[in-house]
Amino acid sequence: MSLQKDPERNEIHHLRKYVDLTGKRILEVGCGEGRLTWQYAKWTNSTVAIDLDHDSLRVAKVDRPYDLEDNVHLACADSHSLPFSKEKFDIAILAWSL
Amino acid sequence: MVHALSEIRRVLVTEGILIDMRPLAERWQIEVVSTDTLKETGRVMDLPEQVNGDVAANEAMKEAETRGWFAPEHEEFFPFFYSWDTPSEMEEFIKDDWADFINLSEDAKKATRSTWAIGNADSRVRVRMKVLIARWKKL
Repeated sequence: MSLQKDPERNEIHHLRKYVDLTGKRILEVGCGEGRLTWQYAKWTNSTVAIDLDHDSLRVAKVDRPYDLEDNVHLACADSHSLPFSKEKFDIAILAWSL
Repeated sequence: MVHALSEIRRVLVTEGILIDMRPLAERWQIEVVSTDTLKETGRVMDLPEQVNGDVAANEAMKEAETRGWFAPEHEEFFPFFYSWDTPSEMEEFIKDDWADFINLSEDAKKATRSTWAIGNADSRVRVRMKVLIARWKKL
């Protein structure tokens, strides 16, 4: 399959234009296989990326770049009942998930 | 959706930022592109699930604003491309992965195939999605 998604990288360009991620604590809801996550996580203090799809998360865990192992945490979690304490994140990203 | 927004608000710091990024149903354009050419060959057909999903998401954000959870700051739209080497790969992907959301007419398939067949050697086919990015501030 020759599929390319967003070869122009418009998504990360607009995300960075809209919010300064540097040093921030990020919650990404609907990370899927991590397509967007890997593009921005290097600038963050920490990133928690959640999804409900086990298969996608499995792919994300395999694909996670080595240098992001310490600050990207992947979890199977439901946005209707987030397993986090209050005021834990600076920025939440709904990634194609609302 | 509204409950999820309530949960997200709970875990955000005061004046934390919510980014809502998602594709919107708008009969996405199908294109054949090469290094020096771009030809529109048709548009996809939006199915009710896709359209209804947009309505529900927009209503959820409006409700979050009405309840005083988040305030809108900025929003805009940008193109997001799904691109394939051949029309048949595009058709297969849409059938396998997007069948609940969009459909392709026979006319659009034929136009894309014929345009691609007579195009340059580096011609690819792509779908131009319309993606919303909106920034909200927690109140």
